[in-house]
Amino acid sequence: MRFAWLLPAGLFALPLAAALVWALAGALDPLAWRQLAADPALAPSLRLALWVGSASTLLSLGLTLWLVTHLHARPAWARLERALGGLLAIPHAAFAVGLALLLMPSGLIARLIAPLAGWTAPPDVATVQDPFGLALIAALVLKEVPFLLWNVAAQLRPVARNAQLRQQLQTAQAMGYPAASVWWRVLWPQLLPRLALPLLAVWAYGLTVVDMALVLGPTRPPTLAVLSWQWLLDADAAMNRQGAAAALLLAGVTAAGALAAAVAWRLLQPALRAREVRGDRPPAHAAGPGAPLLALAGVSAYASAIVLLLFVSIASVWSFPALWPQQVSLDAWGAVATGLRSVWVTAGLAFASAATGVVLAIAWMETTPEAWDRRAAPLVFAPMLLPGVLLVVGLYRLALELGIDGSLAGLWLAHSLFTTPYALVALAPAYRSFDARYEHTAMALGRSHLAFLRQVKWPMLLAPIASAAAIGFAVSVTQYLSTQFVGAGRYATVTTEALTLASGGQRGTMAAFALLQALLPALAFAAAWWLGRAQARRIGVPGVA
Amino acid sequence: MLELIDVCIATPQRRLVHGLSAQVGAGEVLVVMGESGSGKSSLLAWLCGTLAPGLTASGHVLLEGRDIGLLPTVRRRVGILFQDDLLFPHLSVRENLLFALPAGRAAQRIARAEAALADAGLADHGGRMPHTLSGGQRARVSVLRALLAQPRALLLDEPFSRLDLPLRERFRAFVFERLRAQGIPALLVTHDAHDVPPGARVLQLDADATGA
Repeated sequence: MRFAWLLPAGLFALPLAAALVWALAGALDPLAWRQLAADPALAPSLRLALWVGSASTLLSLGLTLWLVTHLHARPAWARLERALGGLLAIPHAAFAVGLALLLMPSGLIARLIAPLAGWTAPPDVATVQDPFGLALIAALVLKEVPFLLWNVAAQLRPVARNAQLRQQLQTAQAMGYPAASVWWRVLWPQLLPRLALPLLAVWAYGLTVVDMALVLGPTRPPTLAVLSWQWLLDADAAMNRQGAAAALLLAGVTAAGALAAAVAWRLLQPALRAREVRGDRPPAHAAGPGAPLLALAGVSAYASAIVLLLFVSIASVWSFPALWPQQVSLDAWGAVATGLRSVWVTAGLAFASAATGVVLAIAWMETTPEAWDRRAAPLVFAPMLLPGVLLVVGLYRLALELGIDGSLAGLWLAHSLFTTPYALVALAPAYRSFDARYEHTAMALGRSHLAFLRQVKWPMLLAPIASAAAIGFAVSVTQYLSTQFVGAGRYATVTTEALTLASGGQRGTMAAFALLQALLPALAFAAAWWLGRAQARRIGVPGVA
Repeated sequence: MLELIDVCIATPQRRLVHGLSAQVGAGEVLVVMGESGSGKSSLLAWLCGTLAPGLTASGHVLLEGRDIGLLPTVRRRVGILFQDDLLFPHLSVRENLLFALPAGRAAQRIARAEAALADAGLADHGGRMPHTLSGGQRARVSVLRALLAQPRALLLDEPFSRLDLPLRERFRAFVFERLRAQGIPALLVTHDAHDVPPGARVLQLDADATGA
């Protein structure tokens, strides 16, 4: 039993490490680098990627800080905190498709403006896939702000820390500092270092995103991640190697950017601290409606995107500038029904890889001490932080070596490598803090460890286990790159269908698939919520009626 | 002088403080005692202007003759010390003190902070980070910080309860001496009769607190 931890660790780490090694091996071809350097598209697409990644990260961070500073301790904060789970559950690709339908020249916003502007035809303005990547930046910001807010909320939630921060706020206010000033001078300097990892994830995602960029991003040239993806899909093996080199370049740029931010943070500390303690008390302003209105606008964008997906999926005639479809039909849903296999493939893969992720996460936590979580962190976070285009190169090679490329087994392996870390991160807080005295009690009653797990621990932890499974399910449903690449295009899922249709003219079918992409994880989260609630009622958790 | 006139604080379910009136002179400490849930901390929060939502309060609080009850917290100039020292962990000891000092010339502000540290026996500790200090040193720095903000009254919410006994006595003396020297009226909430300074008046809070 001493080396039992090797099993879950090996099952996750070995394929991942192999994929990483193969990804690097594939990307380190000198010829591919020379070819990449000589490609005229490299410089503009890298510039664009840097612009989109930096702008979306800085805007997301700025808006998060501003919203928390001005909303915390107000009723709107509690409402926003409750909405975050729902916003985060909507997949990036589905949201991108919904937002495109909102922003496009014939989209809802243009239709709302049309009567005022006198438009009878969609305006001739590139509001999506614009050359500056503004639509993509907007989508990323709308998606990342809830993620960062959720992380801040998680930092503020522990009772002791919340009480301490509240008392620090009171202490500084008693010295004459307005609340907003206390946030900037006292609370954020303490909280920001704890947000380093989520911020790194936001930066890495913004720089390397493919699925949202395919829908909303510029096309001539696209961002480097999209270009890399196109090269990887090319029939020419030399172009594939160039794509792998571009993916590695993106990983390097991600790391360099993170390092630069860390160094800048260090160098700025003396100046920031001098500013924090210079003693000036800025005038206090009454809490205005700006922050609640901005939060409401963000939530409304999500609601509009989902409602639009539904409308577009049932609209057969919807001419500009009408606000409602003139004719509705279920043709798009009929097309979905004829391709129902993709729904089953999506759900089956998600179910299997989520279950694998949860089992591996539980096995890891049962066999290793908590201190090892930190040692495992670089591997655990690798699938979250590395560019997807880089990782899929290695995953494909791994599937080839195992003889499971283009098969469901290969897809299951690839998806599980993404679901496992998410399941571990989601489950660890509850699992690790489980009261050890229950086990002592069970042992004292003569029960085996396995009986304790089956009859006591896992039933008591049903809610967080179900939650982790739902998160794993959602992660699998949203997989695009790994599904296309490892599946060699043989297996369609609702995500690949929606993104493939995004570049074509079948808007209704695309909307239907995008809606399904949002619906499947929502069903998983609803089931997890229902299971958790039923269990809480059964075992009498306070506050659950 | 700090004056409380007919102060009432209540939750939707019950009365916490009812008809409380009291006067606290310059440098005097009024001790507030009572069981948990009797409204001691709510009274301090109301005086500070940070009463929790859901609680209602009425009455007047006069500081040097001026009713500060409707002023926002930042303009009351009523300092507060909690059980925890609440030194800002990302700032050095000196920076914690500079945070409290009013704006002004940098050299003068630093000199004032250093003088305060020397007076508290903490010279040469200015550059240290709070987590490197002992509990007693941290407690002293938190008092210095509160006093450097030049409050016109100070609220003490069980600031001695986390310290061990020998340290506690010295720290009490440290606080009370400075309050007397600077003529600051103070309200001390405590559960421990040993915290009561000699000759101080004690206000016992229960559901029907009356004047002291």
